[in-house]
Amino acid sequence: MRSLDIGATGMMAQQLNVDVISNNIANMTTTGYKRQRAAFQDLIYQNIDRPGSTSSDADTIVPSGLQLGLGVRTGAVYRMTGQGAIQITENPLDLAITGEGYFQIELPSGETAYSRDGTFQMNENGELVTVQGFLVQPGITIPPDAVDIDINDSGEVIVKITGQVTLQNLGQIQLASFVNPVGLEAVGDNLFIETEASGAPTTGNPGEDQFGALRQGALEQSNVNVVEEITKLISAQRAYEMNSNVISTSDEMMQTTTQLR
Amino acid sequence: MENSIYLGLSKQMVLRTNMNITANNIANVNTPGFRGQNTLFAEFIADPRGDDSIGDPLSFVNDRGQYQITDEGPLQQTDNPLDIAIVGPGFIGVQGPSGSPSYSRAGNLQLGLNGQLQTSAGYPVLNEGGAPITIPADASEIKIDSKGVISSQQGQISRIKLVEFQNIQELKPEGDNLYTTTATANPATQSTVKQGYVEGSNVQAVLEMTNMIDTLRNYQSVQNMMQSENERLRGAIQRLTRSS
Repeated sequence: MRSLDIGATGMMAQQLNVDVISNNIANMTTTGYKRQRAAFQDLIYQNIDRPGSTSSDADTIVPSGLQLGLGVRTGAVYRMTGQGAIQITENPLDLAITGEGYFQIELPSGETAYSRDGTFQMNENGELVTVQGFLVQPGITIPPDAVDIDINDSGEVIVKITGQVTLQNLGQIQLASFVNPVGLEAVGDNLFIETEASGAPTTGNPGEDQFGALRQGALEQSNVNVVEEITKLISAQRAYEMNSNVISTSDEMMQTTTQLR
Repeated sequence: MENSIYLGLSKQMVLRTNMNITANNIANVNTPGFRGQNTLFAEFIADPRGDDSIGDPLSFVNDRGQYQITDEGPLQQTDNPLDIAIVGPGFIGVQGPSGSPSYSRAGNLQLGLNGQLQTSAGYPVLNEGGAPITIPADASEIKIDSKGVISSQQGQISRIKLVEFQNIQELKPEGDNLYTTTATANPATQSTVKQGYVEGSNVQAVLEMTNMIDTLRNYQSVQNMMQSENERLRGAIQRLTRSS
């Protein structure tokens, strides 16, 4: 009975769909989170009666044939990189990217990771770090006597130092962009690392070329659309139930068969 | 001799095929661009007695083939720039496995290695000339218009190959949301592309569920028929052996 296995593939696919949706809903308030989506595909087909085979000696052919599909599979779970809403926080070290680009973060291992989460803080040396304490690249060190930190659209960090008249430029925050940002590998903590699929990063100043401008005192919210996720959850659950009905119907058919003597 | 049992058997065989196809439809109720299938049954007339002067010939049932349901699936708004839905009977030209020309209606596209536009299974989407489409690295704000022309802030990039077929039933499903055919693909005239939407599966869940119940009950009633036929035969044998 193929329908038993077909129903099972349907249930597994919907199970995964619910997993992806629940992760999206769980991260609906995660800064810089990009929602994910499961993409389903029909499985291979089995030719029972090949379309195009001749059905008589007068060269008439079978127009459609009999091909049995063997269920569904999950082709990919991929990230949708659309812009999240910008929330104003008025915190001088909160940065949001409006457009393309990723902040470059140095991992403790020395590797570079990429993030859309601009919730930055200062560590004990006055260096700009993420919530986990990882250094932001290129490094910005804010002197202890700085009173007013200003980060402009193109990422320049300008501070006023007590007792000095002229403002001091401490450097520029640069962004990285990828040909295929969907190909980045998520490693948790809002961080991504480069893969072969994402391509090598191109770095540049915010607001130039393809890079989005920075916005100080704001954070990018997740791009999860709760209404959409909930409706997807409902349809996934119903699809799951329908597939389980397929299995019980197949079971009943088999039971009927075994009762025949 | 046991013709009635064989008749019942032929019906049960096609019901199983029907059940398998229904199960596949239900399994793909959330597959983008999926086209549901229906089974075609045909009467298969045979006269095992070789003489049609006595009574009617036997009519078996045969699963002749299946056809695609060609209704359009519901459009789901996603606001993802690389999601396209085709309104009308058209298909997107895709380079299938081993480079063969394939067609798909699943418009949940994504970028692959080096910015190549691909289906969700990773098959390259073709342009009008039949070559894969590459989105340049500096392209931002990708727009796809109703004719399938892809453009960014830097200008026009390419145009998606959009085709139509005279007879959609000649398309053969290959899995991975792909179809292949030997029929000629004509440039689309009646189809338009809608960006930010994905066409859902056109499987009508309610219809499939009732279809499934129907299949099950049919299967059971044939079973009852076969069982009573079995009883009848047994009774006949017992009665005949007793009298001798």
